Amino acid sequence: MRFLGGLAVCLVGAVALAEKPKATAVARQIDAMIAEEIGLNPGELAPPVGDAVFLRRAHLDLLGTIPAPEEVQRFVASQESQKRQELVNQLTKRPEYGLNQARYWRDVVLSRRLEDRSIVVAPAMVEDLARWINDGEPWDAIARRFITATGTASDNGATAILVAQDGRTEEIAAEVSRIFLGVQIQCAQCHDHPWDDWKREQFHELAAFFPRVGVRLVRDVKPFTLKVNVADRPDLPRLRTGANLNKRGRPEHYMQDLEHPEEVGERIEPRFFLTSLELPAGARDAERRRALADDLTATDWFAMALVNRYWSELVGEGFYEPVDDLGPEREASAPKAAERLAEAFATSGYDLRWLHRTILATDAYQRESRPRRTPDEKPFTANVAQPLRGDQLFDALLAAIDIDETQLRRIGGGGRGYGAVTPRLAFDAAFGYDPSDARSTVQATIPQALARMNTPQLNRAVQAIVARLNRERDRDATAVARDLYLRTLSREPTDEEVAIVAEVASNAMWYGSAMEDLLWALLNSAEFSHRR
Amino acid sequence: MATFRRQTKIRLDRRGAIASRRDFLRNVGAATAAGALLGWTDRVSLAAETLRQQGKRCVLLWMAGGPSQFETLDPKPGTPSAGEAGSIVTSVPGIHLSENLPELAKQMGELAVIRSLTSKEGSHPRASYLMHHASLPMGGADLPTLGSSVAERLLATGAAEPDNALPSFVRIGRTANAGGAGMLGVDFDPLLVDNPTQPPRNAKPATSVARYRRRLELLGRLESDFGSVEGADIVADHRKLIESASKMILSPEMAAFDLEQETPAMRASYGEGKFANGCLLARRLLESGVTFVEVTLGGWDTHDDNHTRTQELCGQFDRPAARLLTDLKERGLLDSTLVIWMGEFGRTPRINARSGRDHYPKAFSAWLAGCGVRGGQVIGATDERGANVIERPVSPQDFFQSVYQALGIDPSHENTTSTGRPVKLVDGGSVIEGLLA
Repeated sequence: MRFLGGLAVCLVGAVALAEKPKATAVARQIDAMIAEEIGLNPGELAPPVGDAVFLRRAHLDLLGTIPAPEEVQRFVASQESQKRQELVNQLTKRPEYGLNQARYWRDVVLSRRLEDRSIVVAPAMVEDLARWINDGEPWDAIARRFITATGTASDNGATAILVAQDGRTEEIAAEVSRIFLGVQIQCAQCHDHPWDDWKREQFHELAAFFPRVGVRLVRDVKPFTLKVNVADRPDLPRLRTGANLNKRGRPEHYMQDLEHPEEVGERIEPRFFLTSLELPAGARDAERRRALADDLTATDWFAMALVNRYWSELVGEGFYEPVDDLGPEREASAPKAAERLAEAFATSGYDLRWLHRTILATDAYQRESRPRRTPDEKPFTANVAQPLRGDQLFDALLAAIDIDETQLRRIGGGGRGYGAVTPRLAFDAAFGYDPSDARSTVQATIPQALARMNTPQLNRAVQAIVARLNRERDRDATAVARDLYLRTLSREPTDEEVAIVAEVASNAMWYGSAMEDLLWALLNSAEFSHRR
Repeated sequence: MATFRRQTKIRLDRRGAIASRRDFLRNVGAATAAGALLGWTDRVSLAAETLRQQGKRCVLLWMAGGPSQFETLDPKPGTPSAGEAGSIVTSVPGIHLSENLPELAKQMGELAVIRSLTSKEGSHPRASYLMHHASLPMGGADLPTLGSSVAERLLATGAAEPDNALPSFVRIGRTANAGGAGMLGVDFDPLLVDNPTQPPRNAKPATSVARYRRRLELLGRLESDFGSVEGADIVADHRKLIESASKMILSPEMAAFDLEQETPAMRASYGEGKFANGCLLARRLLESGVTFVEVTLGGWDTHDDNHTRTQELCGQFDRPAARLLTDLKERGLLDSTLVIWMGEFGRTPRINARSGRDHYPKAFSAWLAGCGVRGGQVIGATDERGANVIERPVSPQDFFQSVYQALGIDPSHENTTSTGRPVKLVDGGSVIEGLLA
């Protein structure tokens, strides 16, 4: 029996592999569908992006960091006809591939945390999720882990949503729906949704999958951690109320009567608003969450939510905006293309590498960037430059000026950490943003600008690197300037830039100071802190 | 995130609505307009007149950890709840405070002490959030903290200086779960000052000012490639940001952060310690046009050794807080400056086995002063043991209604979340009767 079972799995696996849609073919299809649906004319499209910009863009998007100067030179010089596709394949095999996405999802989940101390889940979440992604685990399997997680925040990164929402039934339900379905049903928590069809009861039926989950603080380990509690107990009246339901969980979910908020309210049984899934009261926690995870990850919205998010990150604008507010009542730009991509992603076995290979192969991705469009302009005529996330900026700085993490410890001064804070997390607290927020609303701040301009550690690193390059290049200003451009912006300086640098160098009191000023200016430029 | 960005857009709309401090200075004469020839004291005394005519401002003295009401504002001498600290008479006959607060007792005429605050929230993170946002955390709504709301409202209604080099909200000392500007945007995030005797982080160029200016000029010239087409909007925004940041750190108003400019006598009058310096800095910032200053004193979570620890903590805030009130009064600013003293909850009437008191949100205390608050009164009361509120219970919402009322801000003003949901500054509650004169 066991042998046969194993064989069956092998066969299914082989069939799935054979049927996996071809990334480049789907990419062409998506481009064609977008062009048709939106009515794009060739004349209004931004030109294809050059090799150097493509290389930096792909590195930041797939690995979260910038390429080394030698990689830029090698890639630009290469005559291979398939070099972009080959590059993307290579990059998705690097360990930073999973790490970059894991950090992205850490920001998605923890930016909305209700419990500040849930930051303690960050290291485990990043480590576990990076491993699952690098191992090629499908997105539905990963989502299932998060929805059904047990254990402690320090041992199981998949507890992240549960601990970030402090074990609170309704908030967990809202976040699971927002993150994995892109459906913001929580507005129906207190009243029927103002403009969607969701009813208040439907929200609470979703919440009824999670009442038995609680999260309590574990103090007897150092540093402390948070543990998922499961209240598989009879629904006794004394277990229905109290101030710490979120810590111990309660056997059943009760929907508050808005006229009588002091009463326990009406008992609600688990029922999922997108499928026919229903469970009786009394069902055990593991059964509730497993059943929900199975049904939820099989819906169309599950595939669409992920495809829409990744498309938005990579092309600069989602089919739906904001990226976590989809649903039947929303209008997508290019809905057929969106559906096709979501469907092909599902057919691929929710394969994240497949999705990256596909989107990065589209013309939509490979166009030059243009300023974010106004509402009356057509979408997808160009890519859009994106501000680097905290981790990307951190890694770009590390790469550009050869310093290690500990030297960036105090930059920006962000982040209390409950013992979990690392230089990277502190930096992310100061420079990061919630990736679910509309990118047009993400604004840099004065303290961020001041930290980049004036932090003494950064300025010392600038001096050190310039001194080294001056020695290596025998004080050849043009050669040093070229090195500095490659290190920071991953491209050669333009003729105009070379002329400005030459002028500044010749006017400077001493030559080294001009090169330090140049590196300072490059590190403080918008181009450095954006993915072009 | 401790961040802020200056509001620059509203200036043009609001110009003329009030006499801004800059306008005032400009009218004094050419030398003043240059900004540099006028000493700090001159500029401040000129500014004070305008400030008096202008809108209101606010200082929040935040007692992080949950200050014991028994050792501060609601002593219960002769009862099992009393602990070891006695009570003392104040400048107002019939009102007693803890003996830990001799200086504040002398200023009782300015204070409205509330002894009947009551809430249900006994966990630090959620209670701190509640007492900063007038609401518990809500999924999907990134609520602004009190300081951000006050700064935004006073600016939007033309009651605050729109064109100040300094940010409208400064927070001195870190506090967990105190929140930021949230949906109001980075313009109203607090500028964080870790140490009141130091300027804000990274506010000093790493090179000489001349070289810093050269670097800025080079930066401006180099952004033309990315800025011409691909990132035209991004580079334009980035330039503005660099400009405001540089303008702030090179502005004469940065002198407000320098406590060395106060006389030794003035510094001594506030007492010693980080909190004392924070109070003095708060006064200097208010004079320079900052709308809201939050000063934190942490360490109130006295689960053990309550008596000694509260005594020591009271010693840190009693004199500076009292001096802040007299200083503001002497400068004619107390009538338009609301001073709030509070924490996230109180402590238990029962003293535990470790001589500590545990969390107690059911009955706790706070005080308000200035800005039209009728001083010399006690609002509400607890029972003999301090276990229950027996007179005029004040909910956090009632408290915030009153704070906004004192500042001339409509508490029913609605902000809109990213998903289009309207959220009131304060949902529910009513102004505490008799609090305002």
